[in-house]
Amino acid sequence: MPEILGASELVVELGARQGLLRKRAGVRAVDGVDISVATGETFGIVGESGCGKTTLARTLLGLQRESGGVIRLEGTSVSGAASREARSTRSAVQYVHQDPGAALDPWWRVGATLAEGLRIHGVSSAGEQSARIAEMLAAVGLDPAMADRYPHELSGGQQRRIGLARILLLRPKVVILDEPTAGLDLSVQAAVLRLLRDLRDRFGLTYVFISHDLSVVRRVCDRVAVMYLGRIVEQGSTAEIFAAPRHPYTRALLAAAPHLDGRETSPALRGDPPSLRAVPSGCRFHPRCALVQADCATREQTLAPAGPDHIVACHHWRDG
Amino acid sequence: MTRPILQVEGLAVELRGEAGTAQILDDVTFHVPAGGSLGIVGESGCGKSTLLRAILGILPKGAETPRGSILFEGRDILSDRAASARGRIGFVPQDPYLSLNPVFRAGDQILEIMRRHAPGSRRDHRAKIVELFRAVQLPDPEAALAKYPHQFSGGQRQRLLIAAALACDPSLLVADEPTTALDVTTQREILSLLRGLAADRGLALLFVTHDFGVLASVCDRVTVLYAGRVAEGGPTRTVLDAPQHPYTRMLLACHPDRATDLAGIPGTVPAATAQPSGCRFHPRCPIVRGSCAESPPQTVTEGDRVVACPFHAEPILA
Ligand SMILES: Nc1ncnc2c1ncn2[C@@H]1O[C@H](COP(=O)(O)OP(=O)(O)OP(=O)(O)O)[C@@H](O)[C@H]1O
Ligand SMILES: Nc1ncnc2c1ncn2[C@@H]1O[C@H](COP(=O)(O)OP(=O)(O)OP(=O)(O)O)[C@@H](O)[C@H]1O
Ligand SMILES: [Mg+2]
Ligand SMILES: [Mg+2]
Repeated sequence: MPEILGASELVVELGARQGLLRKRAGVRAVDGVDISVATGETFGIVGESGCGKTTLARTLLGLQRESGGVIRLEGTSVSGAASREARSTRSAVQYVHQDPGAALDPWWRVGATLAEGLRIHGVSSAGEQSARIAEMLAAVGLDPAMADRYPHELSGGQQRRIGLARILLLRPKVVILDEPTAGLDLSVQAAVLRLLRDLRDRFGLTYVFISHDLSVVRRVCDRVAVMYLGRIVEQGSTAEIFAAPRHPYTRALLAAAPHLDGRETSPALRGDPPSLRAVPSGCRFHPRCALVQADCATREQTLAPAGPDHIVACHHWRDG
Repeated sequence: MTRPILQVEGLAVELRGEAGTAQILDDVTFHVPAGGSLGIVGESGCGKSTLLRAILGILPKGAETPRGSILFEGRDILSDRAASARGRIGFVPQDPYLSLNPVFRAGDQILEIMRRHAPGSRRDHRAKIVELFRAVQLPDPEAALAKYPHQFSGGQRQRLLIAAALACDPSLLVADEPTTALDVTTQREILSLLRGLAADRGLALLFVTHDFGVLASVCDRVTVLYAGRVAEGGPTRTVLDAPQHPYTRMLLACHPDRATDLAGIPGTVPAATAQPSGCRFHPRCPIVRGSCAESPPQTVTEGDRVVACPFHAEPILA
């Protein structure tokens, strides 16, 4: 399948301040990322909290300006634009926010928020608006009467489903889902995942799926990228990554997933979580790595093939 | 047996809204042993957050005075006289986005809580916050004091809130899905941190979670809610290995590691303003009987388990 959304050598700096008197260097929340998402696939991104997943998503969307690198949408370069223009050229890419409350206006009934989105996208007939809203609310498992509620009258999981409905109403081509199942119970989660799959098949959608829940990622993603401190350290087909994780960080991540039987299979990842203000030299994971060798602190790691449709940034994975 | 730190008896909460009066919680009974840990699970919208709000005394406007009793350290905190005892309950809220004030620095927000509830000087408080930031593994704990909420990632904001909940040395920590925003390695650190704190300081835990893996690793006991009522309760291991209530059985069968097809339980949780008669699960129940719609189910107690379904031994045929 051809690429629909991609980026090369993407760098994003956050928090830099330019002033006459004070100038402060930023941190590189995304530091040299290459990704290529194929039309119709579900592309997973996993990695430790703070590793730059949301920043990467916001940059692909055009909400955050990149400091370097190229972003491609349907074969055309779309990088370099300032934020308002970037969003309008990238309206085919939509985002479901990580915090369910963030996308809802507390003073508006959710129906009004949903209708506003439709209006901006050219659906002006009130009748069509409410028909589509009712259909979508039912599709995400909510009573259409919920449209009359205010956000604070909804439970966390209900807010999340409203957020999903809001985006899906806009019929995007690519949807970036930031933790779409966090806070959902198992039953609603299963229903939402099935809904996402059905909508993907029905409308030919492509998903970028950011999640901490490895059971879910394994279930729904075709390919997975593992990020660590602003970089992709391993990428491959979901089957490969889960059956034969190569990078020591990926292995630690998979081993940390909680199990229904309560067992903890391996010791927790050692060491402090890294700060972007003090990025370790060489391989960024080396201070916490179980396989660390003398050269890890000095040699840059680059992604190299580790199997069919599988790349990994570690010189020593064969030793583990 | 020692006295439970928290004892909830026959709790009922009603909210008045435009759509009428909603019965959010009805006859909810459970306890948290001193130093023990209880998990509350249940479908989205079943009333878990409302339950925690009732315990914390922060029900929304329009809530009727709750009925029943909530004994914390032996005193009924639903009555005015004992309400101040709530200062010793630490709270980690569900939504890190809505719970932090975007215009104040992280350190100042926690200092403000401590100024009101904890003894000691501002300097002591600062030192304590740095120590807590370190304990919840925020990078650069000193620098984090001066940062604004948007300068943290989602998971970091959640850790910030856990640190804030611990600032006033609580004896009970109440957490609404404290690790949903966290990656699994951080989650594991936080959970072992919470278990460690519980062990060292005799801290009791009341956890709302959707994650049965988390439940299994932290909570000794579990209470399953459905539509505002207790469906089932008992030791976590036994409930997970051999769930009894048809709702619990179907919920566990939805786990992505167990489910054969992604489907979910047919139907949705009823609106709180239109609760079904009799057993509230009966419209969705695969083993429903005629009598289920008539009166609330009798609760069956077997050893240390309770189940609100007299027919729980019936097999579910797919
Ligand atoms: N405005 C900002 N200024 C400085 N640093 C920032 C800013 N926004 C985010 N950061 C930092 O950038 C890093 C990446 O944040 P991001 O939100 O992308 O992480 P994430 O991978 O989505 O994490 P999570 O899983 O916790 O949501 C974090 O370390 C965060 O502290
Ligand atoms: N202010 C309110 N007015 C009317 N109904 C409300 C109000 N607040 C909550 N509700 C309703 O009460 C029910 C219980 O909400 P609650 O937030 O306790 O659910 P929850 O179990 O925490 O769900 P979740 O897992 O999704 O967070 C929901 O059906 C919700 O829509
Ligand atoms: Mg994020
Ligand atoms: Mg809730």
